[in-house]
Amino acid sequence: MPLLPRPATARLLAAAVRPASRRLGPASARTYADEGAHDRSVQPDPKSSTSDAPSAKPGDSAMIRQQGPAEGAPRHKPDYDVAVDYRTSKFSPIPMRVMDGSEPGEAVAAAVLSGAPTELQARTVRIYRPAKTATQSGTWHGHHWRMDWDVLEKGHRWENPLMGWQSSADFMQGTHLNFNTKQDAIDFANKQGYEYFVQEPNERRIVPKAYANNFLHSPKRLKHIRTK
Amino acid sequence: MINPTYLAQKTRTSVNWADARRRVIKSYRDWLRAAPEIQQMYSLNMPVSAIRTKARQEFERHRYVAQLPTVDVLITKSNEEYQETMNYWKQLTHVLKYFRAEDDPKARLPHNFVAGFLEGRN
Repeated sequence: MPLLPRPATARLLAAAVRPASRRLGPASARTYADEGAHDRSVQPDPKSSTSDAPSAKPGDSAMIRQQGPAEGAPRHKPDYDVAVDYRTSKFSPIPMRVMDGSEPGEAVAAAVLSGAPTELQARTVRIYRPAKTATQSGTWHGHHWRMDWDVLEKGHRWENPLMGWQSSADFMQGTHLNFNTKQDAIDFANKQGYEYFVQEPNERRIVPKAYANNFLHSPKRLKHIRTK
Repeated sequence: MINPTYLAQKTRTSVNWADARRRVIKSYRDWLRAAPEIQQMYSLNMPVSAIRTKARQEFERHRYVAQLPTVDVLITKSNEEYQETMNYWKQLTHVLKYFRAEDDPKARLPHNFVAGFLEGRN
């Protein structure tokens, strides 16, 4: 599932708001505001030109820019210089970016204000609709949208050496957030600075069938003979 | 007589960016002025300049916040922390939380992929 991009609503003002001089302070505390020297208010150049056919290959659109791995690396690389907070541990994943309130848009910068651990902005969150319980016919649980945290690589679960109990360094394990709509869940993830991906539900496909169609006349040889 | 609301600030929003700037700088100056008292109160093993640097670092972390309501909440939080610290409502652990990145080797992120890989962070 590809990572959906953050809303790039009004990036035009981003370069103007920030002052030209570098801020003072420890060089080790770098945040989202000064990631890279490139101007993110400009969209990357499209790779196609007007002389190209509308669709160069079948199933391919010339308007969507295909990003090679080297081009996507700055966006997907973890940021090792990000400021740590007092909850960072040896199990904390490295975030790609940490919200610092300078993002344009009307959304509340809740990640800055909530006091939540910054490592939560490193962890990917899955937004999905829970599947129907296979053992029953009712779909009562499958209408809301749920947010679920991906497991940690190392601190997910280990056996307690004394008693053999299952210990974990993952404080979000077993935590679900439920939302009424997909957009609510996406807005929440954007507000809190989470990396998220949306998993579209498998919709049930009901094929309309008519029993009378078994007995229609067919000029060819019948594959199945349904009458005696 | 103990005044429980000593150093409490009235809740208010900033009228404009100039007002917010004034409030932020006032709060920052309060922290700088209080640094020797914090060191003496909590018996910290660091020079006063380290406390002032940490205050500067915390304020610089939010230097580029673009929205005024967010700045208001941050100022409120700074005032809350100031009240809790100066009234001795905090304990040593709460104050040392801010200095954990420097003191504790386990609380650091690796500086590149290979360093993280060698310490087992894959």
